[in-house]
Amino acid sequence: MPRACRRHPAPLRDPLNYERVFTVFPMKILIVEDEPKTADYLRKGLTEQGCAVDVAHDGIDGQHMALQHDYDVIVLDAMLPGQDGFAVLRALRAVRQTPVIMLTARDRIEDRVKGLHEGADDYLVKPFSFLELLARLQALNRRGRAQESLHVRIGDLHLDLISRKAYRGQTRLDLTAKEFALLAVLARRQGEILTKTAIAEMVWDMNFDSNTNVVEVAIKRLRAKMDAPFSPRLLHTIRGMGYVLELREDEGAP
Amino acid sequence: MKRSITLRMVAMFAVTTLMVFGVIGAALYGVLSRELARHQREELQTAYQDMEYMIKRGGTPERWEHAQAKMDTLMQSSGSLFFWANSSDPRYRYGENLAEIESRLVPDSPMGVLVLPGRAYPLFTLTRTIAAYQDRPAIQLTVAMDSMPYVHTLHAFLTALLVLSLSAVLLVVVLGYCIARVGLRPLQKMSAEAQMLGARTLSQRLQSESLPEELDDLAVAFNGALSRLETAYKQLEAFNADVAHELRTPLTNLIGETQVVLSRRRTAEEFQEVLQSNLEELERLRSIVNDMLFLARADQGEAATGRVRSSVAGEVSKTIEFLEPILDETQESIRIDGDTVAEALIEKSLFRRAMANLLQNAIEHSRPGAQIRVVIEQRPSSVSIGVSNPGEPIEASHLPRLFDRFYRVDVARHNGPRQGHGLGLAIVKAVAAMHGGDVFAFCAEGMTTIGFSVSSPAEGP
Repeated sequence: MPRACRRHPAPLRDPLNYERVFTVFPMKILIVEDEPKTADYLRKGLTEQGCAVDVAHDGIDGQHMALQHDYDVIVLDAMLPGQDGFAVLRALRAVRQTPVIMLTARDRIEDRVKGLHEGADDYLVKPFSFLELLARLQALNRRGRAQESLHVRIGDLHLDLISRKAYRGQTRLDLTAKEFALLAVLARRQGEILTKTAIAEMVWDMNFDSNTNVVEVAIKRLRAKMDAPFSPRLLHTIRGMGYVLELREDEGAP
Repeated sequence: MKRSITLRMVAMFAVTTLMVFGVIGAALYGVLSRELARHQREELQTAYQDMEYMIKRGGTPERWEHAQAKMDTLMQSSGSLFFWANSSDPRYRYGENLAEIESRLVPDSPMGVLVLPGRAYPLFTLTRTIAAYQDRPAIQLTVAMDSMPYVHTLHAFLTALLVLSLSAVLLVVVLGYCIARVGLRPLQKMSAEAQMLGARTLSQRLQSESLPEELDDLAVAFNGALSRLETAYKQLEAFNADVAHELRTPLTNLIGETQVVLSRRRTAEEFQEVLQSNLEELERLRSIVNDMLFLARADQGEAATGRVRSSVAGEVSKTIEFLEPILDETQESIRIDGDTVAEALIEKSLFRRAMANLLQNAIEHSRPGAQIRVVIEQRPSSVSIGVSNPGEPIEASHLPRLFDRFYRVDVARHNGPRQGHGLGLAIVKAVAAMHGGDVFAFCAEGMTTIGFSVSSPAEGP
């Protein structure tokens, strides 16, 4: 893959930084999905995230592999040839408790209830975005970990999550409560691309595609306060995907 | 097998006829039988009186001979009269098997019935004692009359009655069938007319003027159903066209941009640029598909699950808080009025979604710096939330259609950069339906108010 940012001076718009190290989570993942394109991009995307990925193309293989190997997470399509995802899930749950994310095309409540009842840990409704899947996987990965730290540092940005104060170097940032919450959400998941929908859910508890530009406006205002006057820039827009807070090497020099 | 109205009517006619004939026949039979009995008693009485007159004045054996001769003559001539006379003096006796007859008669009873061996029908009898006169002792005179003619008459009557009844029933069945056919002809005409209506001619209606009164209601109801169907059909057609249109723009962009970028050698930046643009279009498509799936679920009658009793004003202010960054930009403000302590059973995420759509709609349609009002109203069994923004009044004909999918009051007004894709208010309506509520829209005094209600059954403390 070409390294865009090395060969050209950084454009005004924040480009997707290929050098950037994603928050790698070295998980062993099984994807059971019969649609080849979906299975391919999931394998590619997750492998690039540092996961070890196996793919099964039908329910029979899927069940066999799920039972034979030790996976950290199984991504399981509900509609499969051979036997459907619910049957695979039942067979799996009889033996082991591997976390499972179900992919369903229908989001009728019965399907969701059925999936969760059979022991799925999470579900995603098609069409879903890759970032959404990543977020769910990271949530499962994060599950059961120790309490998150009370201080976050990224470059010269320092967040005190108890007293709810933010600093760039020695300068105290004057943020409203919501701006701080937004910054905290981004900082806690530094290096992770957050979609507008995910941000709206985590900061405002609005868990739906709102079709508003609230998040854009809020990010713009936050950026004006905590990023624009300082160097290096930490808050980056990934066009079409969302936002990420991280320290990028090539922007390290003023 | 389906029940036929004609057959049912014919059967009911037949049963009715049978019942009427049965009742009248039974009554006639009773009257006839009573009259016949009375007639016979009178005849018996007459025969007795004749003989009594003769015997009463006869006190000698000679006169008794006369009486005997008379009785012989009467018995022979009528063939149905019988006489027996008994007395203490063997000379003054008359009739065959006198002792046996005596024993069969009921004592101390003038009228009686006598069954004689060898006779098919019983005899009616009249027995009285004639006082002694001169030489003659008291005579017990019995007159009997054969009941055969009486029974025969009754039998003949009964037979005639049965035959007549059955013929009448048959006649009624035939006539009833014809009547039912004729009577139901308007129905057949109507169904023939209804069959002529096809999917292509949804605007046609049944002609109710030519129908009889009884079918008028049915025709009106049928036409009403057709009207609703036609509206729904037209909406569906328009909706399909809208969906196609709505999807066409992003698809055109996706295909075009991709083709252009692939037709030359490009730098990685150029590819990246196109991919990012494509992703935006794809997100738009995804958002449309998700919203349409949501609406489809609401259409199928999916109700909100996980409804909890919450403060309506509280949820409204949470949504306002979410929209604050935009409000700051446009210098608009939102005030909550009305019943700010009202509570309702709501599913929070759905409620906030509807609220966000309503507020966003109000923000989009008012000028910067405007004051938007949210009015919460507690009604008997629901809570309504109306969002008012100052703005030009919307034509009354547009108001009820605001909640239709992809409906735009003024196409030109939305040519600028826009947020949603014409499903915002349809989602509000779906959320209201999922909460057992409804939507409303009106314009008054320079304010446009659009809102929805959620059902909220009264709850005790």
